[in-house]
Amino acid sequence: MNKSISIKNNSLIQEDVENFLNPDYIYIPFYDTDNILVSVGKKVLKEEAIIERKNEIVYSSVSGKFIGTTESTYFDNKEGKCIVIENDFKEKVIDKKGAVKYISEYSKEEVFSLIKKYSICSKVINNGAKIMVINGIDQDPYERTYSFLINNHCQKILEVIDALASILNISTTILAINNHDNNNVVMLTNHIGTYPNIKLKLLPDAYPSGYKELVIKNTLTKKQANEGYIYMTVEDMYNIYNVLKRRKPITEKLLTLSGNSIENSKVLNVKIGTIIPDIIENCCDIVNDKYFVIKNGLIAGKTLTHLNQPITSNMRSLFLNTKSKDIERKCINCGLCNAKCPVGLNPKYLKEHKNADRSKCIGCGLCTYICPSKINFKPYLGGKDE
Amino acid sequence: MNNVYVRGNTSIKSISLTRLFLVIPLIIYGFYKNGVFLYMNNYIGLLEMFKPLILILIGAFLGAIVNIIYEYIIKRRKEDLINTIFSSFHVEYGVIVACISSINTNILAFTICIFFIFLISKFLNNRINIMSVTFIAIYSIITLKNPYIFENIYELSKNFSLNFMDYLTGRAAGGIASTHIFLLVVALIGLHISNTNKGEITIYTCISYALPAIIYAIIRHINVIDILFLNNYMFIFTFVATDSVTSCYTTNGKKVYGILIGVLTFGFYFINPILAPFISIIVTSLLNNLIDRKVGVFSNKTSQIKGE
Repeated sequence: MNKSISIKNNSLIQEDVENFLNPDYIYIPFYDTDNILVSVGKKVLKEEAIIERKNEIVYSSVSGKFIGTTESTYFDNKEGKCIVIENDFKEKVIDKKGAVKYISEYSKEEVFSLIKKYSICSKVINNGAKIMVINGIDQDPYERTYSFLINNHCQKILEVIDALASILNISTTILAINNHDNNNVVMLTNHIGTYPNIKLKLLPDAYPSGYKELVIKNTLTKKQANEGYIYMTVEDMYNIYNVLKRRKPITEKLLTLSGNSIENSKVLNVKIGTIIPDIIENCCDIVNDKYFVIKNGLIAGKTLTHLNQPITSNMRSLFLNTKSKDIERKCINCGLCNAKCPVGLNPKYLKEHKNADRSKCIGCGLCTYICPSKINFKPYLGGKDE
Repeated sequence: MNNVYVRGNTSIKSISLTRLFLVIPLIIYGFYKNGVFLYMNNYIGLLEMFKPLILILIGAFLGAIVNIIYEYIIKRRKEDLINTIFSSFHVEYGVIVACISSINTNILAFTICIFFIFLISKFLNNRINIMSVTFIAIYSIITLKNPYIFENIYELSKNFSLNFMDYLTGRAAGGIASTHIFLLVVALIGLHISNTNKGEITIYTCISYALPAIIYAIIRHINVIDILFLNNYMFIFTFVATDSVTSCYTTNGKKVYGILIGVLTFGFYFINPILAPFISIIVTSLLNNLIDRKVGVFSNKTSQIKGE
């Protein structure tokens, strides 16, 4: 039985990326162990380092005034503190030394140090790997973030993939995209001739083919996977391009804004730190007030318990949706959850046995989506946060 | 919060309707064989011609009524009528039980058995195959007075020697709408394509029943075809044994479940050929959880992705 399923997404998405780059305030989460690099009342410039933590430096996404901290915000549904910066709308960028060479001329060490300095990839890059896999497939069938990113920055992404492959001595570079993403397939096919080292891999338009585990399974052989590889997304690539080319940290990001409670689905370009109510107020035409806000996918995403949450770099999408009205019934033993689980788990068994090993679960939510009895398996399964 | 916002199209209703849709050609043939044909040859009256359809409609209607009573009155759930009717597989069960019942079945006994057994089954914890239990109850009530015979009035009036093609085209004696092997194969293919049927169970049951049956037929010099296509066996293996609720659901579990039914059916064949598959299915359905636990793959060993 096929392990993935085709999900039709009938929602039309606005063709162009919409910008929302002028929030009144931005909110940057911080922990007690963090070192805050600016003081209250002082001016902050765009792209200025404001928080230093163990393996990461956080940069301001606007220029303005650091007006203090607040404790009434949440991130990942947990209450936390945030630095608040009042936007002066001047977009004054901190003076810094720009890039002085072509991106292909960097050494391996320079690339690693810049990636670390600008906190581009949270994942550790496998130094000795000979294969690099770039994921250009949106995780959720209702998301279009990666698709728009490729569409808008195709040349830059290909350029940086090619450069990284040569810098890191990668022998095989694979860019995986969805075969139903027609515009991008055509665009990449036209441009990829310039980059003979990059192989384009078209994966079927079936959920959950955008998950890392599935991308790796569908692009590499078992032997290749066991030998070691570098896995990154097109978003990582675009961010690396900005760092290598312009020394620009992540201050903005693309975000899919969709759901059945808003009139027009769109992909938004927003400042990191913009608070969700600001986005809803300024960018959404609400058609149904009884909505929930879900981040990172309609099928596998997390419902936000509080809206006072800032946009962080690991957010890909926001959905304003009503709950499914289907009534949960007794399990009919159909075995679909077991047959369809992409990592071969048995969700029914995991639901009934609290102590069973659920570490392999990728949290795709396919079992819940497919269940004819409308059983919600989410509370009983694991799932990894990106 | 773990709310669910989008759901797939597969539902109990869609599975039920798919199975019912695939039984329709068999029902049409059954109506012709046990109704229209007999009426046209003056074996029965006009009203009796509709008996096959009446039994099938009673089965479906009682299945729906039981679901409505359970959902609206006992559970007090407020849902639309169609979803309530298809809130479980009881409509399908009613139709299937009618299909495997003899045309000589007493309508009152049939109605009472279906209604009470279906209603009681709503309170059981999905353990016993309801279709088998209902058929055995109908069989038991009818055999209190008369022997249970599958032949209709026309078949009783003549002696037949059936060949393979006769079985294939449904001329053998059997249930109201369960004798046409060719249409059954078409239904089986349809069920397989619909992706919601436990087709492995049918395949393994047929193989594990056919193998000892063929050996037995060769040893005893009996016609193999007669044993293989006896008394609705193929229909029962396709629609009753694969009942989603009471059968195994893991890959290996389904295989073992099918094999067990086939072997037991062959064993019980010597005790009661009519009830043999039903008893086997009941016995095996009681063991479904155990089978899944012992042989089922609870965590498939997929390749661990290392390397990064």
